Amino acid sequence: MFQIHCPHCGATREEEEFSYAGEAYIARPANPEEASDAEWGDYLFMRKNTRGWFWEQWQHTAGCRKVIAVKRHTGSYEIAGSWTLAEGKEHYLKESEA
Amino acid sequence: MPNFQPYLQSPLVNFNLPAQTVPAEASQKVRANELPLMGYIVLRGELADTAVAQAITKATGLAVPTACRFSSGDAGVLIWQSPDECLLVTARNYVPALLAACTEAFAGLFAQAVDNSGGLTTVYLSGVEHVTLLRHLGVYDFESVTPGDVASTVLGKAGALVCRVDGDGVFLVIRRSFADYLWLLITKAATPYRFAVAKLPAAGKSPFLRLVDAGSPAKRPVAA
Repeated sequence: MFQIHCPHCGATREEEEFSYAGEAYIARPANPEEASDAEWGDYLFMRKNTRGWFWEQWQHTAGCRKVIAVKRHTGSYEIAGSWTLAEGKEHYLKESEA
Repeated sequence: MPNFQPYLQSPLVNFNLPAQTVPAEASQKVRANELPLMGYIVLRGELADTAVAQAITKATGLAVPTACRFSSGDAGVLIWQSPDECLLVTARNYVPALLAACTEAFAGLFAQAVDNSGGLTTVYLSGVEHVTLLRHLGVYDFESVTPGDVASTVLGKAGALVCRVDGDGVFLVIRRSFADYLWLLITKAATPYRFAVAKLPAAGKSPFLRLVDAGSPAKRPVAA
């Protein structure tokens, strides 16, 4: 089982307290009215299926009920870290630029 | 007009705890009893915002707790739940005045106070093996809950706030809808520990037990 650090509670808790909330930082098309059906369909339905480092969201449902960002390796289940959504986004953007 | 007569009863009313209550003895390694019909007020608002924190302190007289802690005083117990939520546990009689005070203090702020007294109840769990019992029920490292700490975690399948005031026992703030399930789970898991529904200790200065003595409105009989 995972042990996930909740940045809001400042505590590392068991996975049982958390709920999985899918891939993190999916960018919404800037102008939905003008997005093509394919773009909008990708935004709504298409998800990465990475084997490797993956940014995902977890909700601390039994604790503070906040959604947090977790970087996890989907192959080894290693967790690189967890952040609040705002803090995690900086790391995520830095990584995706590199 | 239909004959609508609302009445107040504890979520554990069907277990008839007052009739089962026996005096506390050292041989009972796990003891539990309900603190029935207390008042619960949910306070929402960004706690890091000094204006909100000051408004909470002004209305309740309680310091805003830091993460996973609680503070207590005359008005009751203020439990940290999330960066933008606190739970005020108080006597049922205090609820209308506190709610009005909070609403007034929150005027102009992005904050809100809501009465949730119908939604929660509290169970006091004590005895030398009460931590062992908690270990049976949940995955949290319950030894690490020191006085003044709150652990918001899962017991069995239900969420609970585990608050420790002193080494004798913990107060479990649980949902009304899961109270029945949790009580059955506690009594079953505690069977090897000479479980007893024990009389609550004298309130003294205990921030929770004081609130029971502070009173809840008299229970109206159920009209058939």
